Amino acid sequence: MSFEMWAEKYRPKKLDDMVNQKEIVERLKSFVKSRNVPHCIFAGPPGTGKTTAALCLARDLYSEAYREHIMELNASDERGIDVVRETVKTFARVRSIGEIPFKIMILDEADNMTSDAQQALRRTMERFTETCRFILCANYSGKIIEPIQSRCAPFRFSFLPREEHDKYLKHIAEKENVRLLKDGLDAVFEVCSGDLRKAINTLQAAASLNKPVDAKIVYSITGKASPADVQKMLEIAMKGNFIEARKQLRDMIQKYGVAGSDIIRQIHTEIFRADIPEPWKIKLADVVGEIDYRLVEGADEEVQLSALLARLVEVGFELGKNA
Amino acid sequence: MYFAWTIKHKPKSLSEIVGNKESVQKFVDWVKSWEKGIPKKRAAFLYGPPGVGKTVTVETLANDFRMELVEKNASDYRTEDAINRFAGLSSQYSSLFGGKRIVLLDELDGLTGTSDKGGVKATIDIAKKAQCPLVLIANNAYDPRFSNLRNYCLLIEFKKPPAGEVMKHLKRICASESIQADEDALKFVAQRSEGDVRSAVNDLQALSQGKKRLTYEDVSWLGYRDRQDTIFNVLRMILYGRTCVSAKQAADMADVDVDMLFEWIYENVPEHLTDPHDLAKAMDALSKADVYRGRIRSAHDWSLTRYVIDFMTAGVAMARQNTKAHGWIPFKFPARIQMLSRSKAERATQLNIGHKIKRKCHISAYRASKEILPYLKIIFKNNVDMAVGIAKWLDLDPEMIEYMTENKEKTEAIVKQLSK
Repeated sequence: MSFEMWAEKYRPKKLDDMVNQKEIVERLKSFVKSRNVPHCIFAGPPGTGKTTAALCLARDLYSEAYREHIMELNASDERGIDVVRETVKTFARVRSIGEIPFKIMILDEADNMTSDAQQALRRTMERFTETCRFILCANYSGKIIEPIQSRCAPFRFSFLPREEHDKYLKHIAEKENVRLLKDGLDAVFEVCSGDLRKAINTLQAAASLNKPVDAKIVYSITGKASPADVQKMLEIAMKGNFIEARKQLRDMIQKYGVAGSDIIRQIHTEIFRADIPEPWKIKLADVVGEIDYRLVEGADEEVQLSALLARLVEVGFELGKNA
Repeated sequence: MYFAWTIKHKPKSLSEIVGNKESVQKFVDWVKSWEKGIPKKRAAFLYGPPGVGKTVTVETLANDFRMELVEKNASDYRTEDAINRFAGLSSQYSSLFGGKRIVLLDELDGLTGTSDKGGVKATIDIAKKAQCPLVLIANNAYDPRFSNLRNYCLLIEFKKPPAGEVMKHLKRICASESIQADEDALKFVAQRSEGDVRSAVNDLQALSQGKKRLTYEDVSWLGYRDRQDTIFNVLRMILYGRTCVSAKQAADMADVDVDMLFEWIYENVPEHLTDPHDLAKAMDALSKADVYRGRIRSAHDWSLTRYVIDFMTAGVAMARQNTKAHGWIPFKFPARIQMLSRSKAERATQLNIGHKIKRKCHISAYRASKEILPYLKIIFKNNVDMAVGIAKWLDLDPEMIEYMTENKEKTEAIVKQLSK
């Protein structure tokens, strides 16, 4: 077993190494061949290879000295307009020395840029096209302003299909001498639903226990937000103990930093598994959907989800009355 | 079930009274003087601000001297007739069973013009003729209504006890509740109370509910509130409001901002609206208030605040349909705010580690701290070798390592291997 982070160790280095997103990779290879790259938007869910594709493209293009020709900026950490005015401009305006006349700016998590910063970026992209090409990585291309979108070639990344996901994890497990059991692999896929970075981190954390990796270990790893935990919280609510259920929710969010969207996805799954009258399930799904939408809009995770828990307390109470 | 500490830890003997030593002594001397015959002043008039121990002085005296305490207070009607009927009781010093009797008319300020008509006049009549110690209690003895009455009374003033005395009392309570309280936390509560022992004890109970340890951080939020319209009153008006308007008005009285008031309501709803239907409605109202908060942010339009207020106050008040008010339930400080302030330092460490991860893993520090750190924590807790490898690769310092392992020995083991 190697003692570094596997998600980095096994990150593909060249476009040829990339197992998934076949069509995208082919188009990127054609850029390398023509030695020209347009501005690009890589859009898609986390852990599907956006940043990796950008880095592979750079390495194929500039070979090993690629670091000198690219800059990686992370919009979640530096998303204000000043960054665009200073850092981005300074990098973009200076001509690259070498056979390829432009540099590449990778703007990661670009959907977190403020709209002011995006407006500023639009000018910069236009003025310095000769010397710098931009690759914007984002979960939602919809959060990138139209004028930028129209200047970029769009690439849509999707979750890894099941076979690719399995192949990749099995490959890592083999290299690292980890016994990955069938139900463990299933559990990883269920928990991470194709997010490869999350899947590899889960595998490594599970392997750190020095035991064969089975479903139980995987669930205990994703632990604080495993289906069992959400299930427990829902059970407590259905039994009528709202205060305890809300406390569990609070711990999940504050102590363990589980994203509200992850919790709600699991609640959605659990509702259809729950032992409640069939027609109620669809009613609850409606509530869950409404809350999911509110969270996307930026509502408070704990407040919204605890309103849902209160509804479950009500459901539990009604069930008790009928029983 | 909750039991108010103001009752549970009420002084049982005169020696436990907080402060006002001289006033208590003066009162004791006067009661004792009855042994030698009826004194010149047959009534003692204890006065002073709320919560300084006037009533409890009379109660503990009766207890210490084994006297029978006959009491009337604001909750009884005190018309002339009612008081005259009461007067009969004070016509004898010894009670039916041979014990000595003491008669108390509490909360005299409450004698109102119309319904307690003639009450003051009747009180004067009793004070003139009383055959046993008659004690009168009011906040302000110098109210013009009492000008005539004062002539027949021994006036005894009760003052606000100094913070040090209040603190001693709070300490005793903490000791008997097995709460480990920081000195400066109790000092803060005592000072805030400005000599109102009762409110200090109430505050202490609300703050230390369910805790084994009380720190300055736990209590410092008290500084936010004014002693006049406390947040507790505001909450009461909202959680037990009968009309939309009264619940909405409560929000204006609060001296915390809308977000903080929201937290107070959000924290306290479940214990005060226990019926499942009411609870669901109240939480639904709060979730809608929260939606409007989001709309304010995205539209930059603060005028939408009125809808936030509508839902969090009137929306919650109108949810009460089945829940009956039962007993005294204390209000609690919003726990998640406490959690947030406590975990501030923790989140700073998380973000620092996030920055370390960012340098290696092509991900923002923020997302690294949320999405990768939890897995690293598991690894650091379970596998020292792997932890050493990753700590070296990410260049983590011992403080960060300790955050991940949550264990001193493991941290030392990892640091030791790193320095090799």
